[in-house]
Amino acid sequence: MINQKKLDRVLKRVERPARYIGMEQNSVSKDLEKVKVKFAFSFPDIYDVGMSHLGLHILYNLINEEEDFLCERVFAPWTDMEEEMRHENLPLFTLESKEEVRNFDFLGFTLQYEMSYTNILNILDLSKIPLLSKDRTDEDPFVLAGGPCAYNPEPIADFIDFFIIGEGEEVTIEILQVYKEHKEGNWNREEFLKSIAKIQGVYVPKFYDIVYKEDGTIKERITLIEGVPSKIDKRMIKDLDSMFSPEKMIVPFIETVHDRVSMEIFRGCTHGCRFCQAGMIYRPIREKSVDKIVELADKLVESTGYENVSLSSLSSCDYSELYLLITKLMEKFEEKKVGVSLPSLRLDSFSIDILKEIEKVRKSGLTFAPEAGSQRLRDVINKGITEEDLVNTVSYVFKEGWSTIKLYFMVGLPTETDEDVMGIKDLAYKVKDMFFDLPKEERKGNLKVTASASCFVPKPFTPFQWVGQESMDEFYRKIYLVKNSIKDNKVTFNYHDPKLSYLEAIIARGDRRISKLILRAWEKGCKFDGWSEHFKYDTWIETLKELDMDGDFYALRNRSLEENLPWDFINPGVSKEYLIREYKRSIEEQTTPDCRDKCRGCGIKGCTMIGGENN
Amino acid sequence: MILRVTFCKKNYLRYIGHLDLMRLFHRSFNRAKIPLKYSEGFNPHPKFSIAHPLSLGIESEEEYMDIDLDYMAVDEFMEKMNEVLPDDIQITKAIYLKKEESIASLISWAFYEINFDIIKDKSKEEIEDIINTWLCKEEIMITKLKKKGKKKIERQENIKNLIGNIVLKEINHNNVIIDTLIKAGDNGNLKPTNLMEALNRDTTLNIDMDSITIKRLGLYAEKDKNIYKPL
Repeated sequence: MINQKKLDRVLKRVERPARYIGMEQNSVSKDLEKVKVKFAFSFPDIYDVGMSHLGLHILYNLINEEEDFLCERVFAPWTDMEEEMRHENLPLFTLESKEEVRNFDFLGFTLQYEMSYTNILNILDLSKIPLLSKDRTDEDPFVLAGGPCAYNPEPIADFIDFFIIGEGEEVTIEILQVYKEHKEGNWNREEFLKSIAKIQGVYVPKFYDIVYKEDGTIKERITLIEGVPSKIDKRMIKDLDSMFSPEKMIVPFIETVHDRVSMEIFRGCTHGCRFCQAGMIYRPIREKSVDKIVELADKLVESTGYENVSLSSLSSCDYSELYLLITKLMEKFEEKKVGVSLPSLRLDSFSIDILKEIEKVRKSGLTFAPEAGSQRLRDVINKGITEEDLVNTVSYVFKEGWSTIKLYFMVGLPTETDEDVMGIKDLAYKVKDMFFDLPKEERKGNLKVTASASCFVPKPFTPFQWVGQESMDEFYRKIYLVKNSIKDNKVTFNYHDPKLSYLEAIIARGDRRISKLILRAWEKGCKFDGWSEHFKYDTWIETLKELDMDGDFYALRNRSLEENLPWDFINPGVSKEYLIREYKRSIEEQTTPDCRDKCRGCGIKGCTMIGGENN
Repeated sequence: MILRVTFCKKNYLRYIGHLDLMRLFHRSFNRAKIPLKYSEGFNPHPKFSIAHPLSLGIESEEEYMDIDLDYMAVDEFMEKMNEVLPDDIQITKAIYLKKEESIASLISWAFYEINFDIIKDKSKEEIEDIINTWLCKEEIMITKLKKKGKKKIERQENIKNLIGNIVLKEINHNNVIIDTLIKAGDNGNLKPTNLMEALNRDTTLNIDMDSITIKRLGLYAEKDKNIYKPL
């Protein structure tokens, strides 16, 4: 255990000290001496953000169900805490037992966004664990990583001992089991890595090497030892109902980003939006049954005392029995004053009845994501919603009394023209006009339309994985085009920093050489890059120059379909042929309808959608 | 009916702020299925209030809270609540009020135990002498920062009348423990941290300000010069 006197001194001086004390409702306390495998789970951002991550609650409870295993949490300390810890020479500790992270067997990171990678290094450094995988010895924990960004593991391959590709519920336990056996027998770091490298979904970067061509692209990948797979297949849970689902979740003392019960209702998505990585990598679609969800929701409300249940998924309105589910939940919870909320609504499948049901309890602002301003561009990205969908929905919600509408867009999408960009303004104005077209006595509240634009970042395993990102100058020009055209105090226009998106694009489609960039940038003080007040763009650019690396090579370059991509060795289930087909269709402005109606042949196994050809 | 309860807040849980504590109680009432009364209106809130909230980082043996609920046996209430509350926040007493009188307006004194290190060892007599001489001063001034919009205004305040007493409780080499009764509430209020700052500034005690640990031992009401516990 760390020095408690030091911790006390430090806690007195920092903002929101409850971030660092643990002890919340439903957190575990196990005897460190009695458990056989100690796993430290880390979300590489501050507590307030990390605690809102559903995956944490699942894996935490899953591991702790096992008597021999222990899972504790560690987050990135906020800068004030880091300063105090370094000042007192206090190593990073887990929240539950206040034990040094380096005394655990595993330190597992969840990779939710690329701009958290410098925080991984900061966490390793504060834990006094060697930053590079090759420098770690038998005394050090294994450092692993999983989550959506692990689908391109290469940019942080130097820091991570092994990756988990795909869904972690089963494979994590398998790995810990193997570890337990190894520890009881003849223990050796290398041998352990060799044996888990054979488990489906596990990727150990040190067993592979990359040969580059003169132009900087990849010539080939070499497998360095025998018996490890050359292609890594993702892991996937077959049946969500029989899968482990937590019946309790940790209730933070302090207010976090999502302060409510969060429940997964299905995995996967059938829409096939071409910019969306989650829509590809989480296939196939698998639903939890209504009964199971209601049963779990009830238990979670009981064990947490929360007054709101949020039904989470990639597109909640797609749940096949949504109306039944909502009715049952409302029936159960109305008396208890528990509200139900549905994030990720889409305009197309928006059900007015559902909205009416939910509205009985609480009425908040509504958010829609048309993603692109014109129909042409929405066709290119395969966002299957029309202006008519928007008009119908918005006119309904205005009549029902909503008056705060948020619209999400992207700029810099493939084939985008100025006309498409100006569509953002047109849509926002259209929404405004619809409000004022209502007779005065029917308008309720004070209208507020917010249009937000983020800068498109092409991601691996999407049909746009070959596309070059828009240049920074173009991003700014387009953003100002919209910004300067909006002159109405009811309509607000926000945009994301193109500089951050440029860095994100470099890392998202980076290869192994990007590890050096991240390490050097961290050494020069970069951390919390996702937080605008901490993002040091100039330092990143300086680091690129210092290392003689070309950021544009990664971010802006159009790849040919034949190029060996750094993440090609990962098999996400969806075939490359499908991605190519979708890419070509996008250029032709051809849409591909939802695969609930007809199978589009994406190659995923185990799909139970109507007409799925691979059942 | 109004149930007045006392509770403690100890160890690491002293780092939970007042609003977070209110949310913790709210969720705990839900989990223990306490029949709370809710306020009327569009966004109903459960009716309970905590008197004289603790500052972040201060432990307490005895805090007060009034809860408006439909009758439930006191024993049952305590049992159910303490089962769902963390070990370091537990209900210690509960009584239904015969006469409704808001707990917040009752409180006028707070009793603290303050533990700190001094840089150089001193004897018991020396320390007592230093403190008593200080308390006999005609005025003890502190500077209060007041925010007025964006402007910060400094204001001087004489706290002499806000200090009831300071008693030296224990001394062990350079570690000192004092008990102090100071004013709390709407009719004069002194923060223990301000008291310590003034004591350190005005005297030769030479306190290691980083070492100060404060614990509230109780809250008191006052009537006709009599100081008593509100429960």
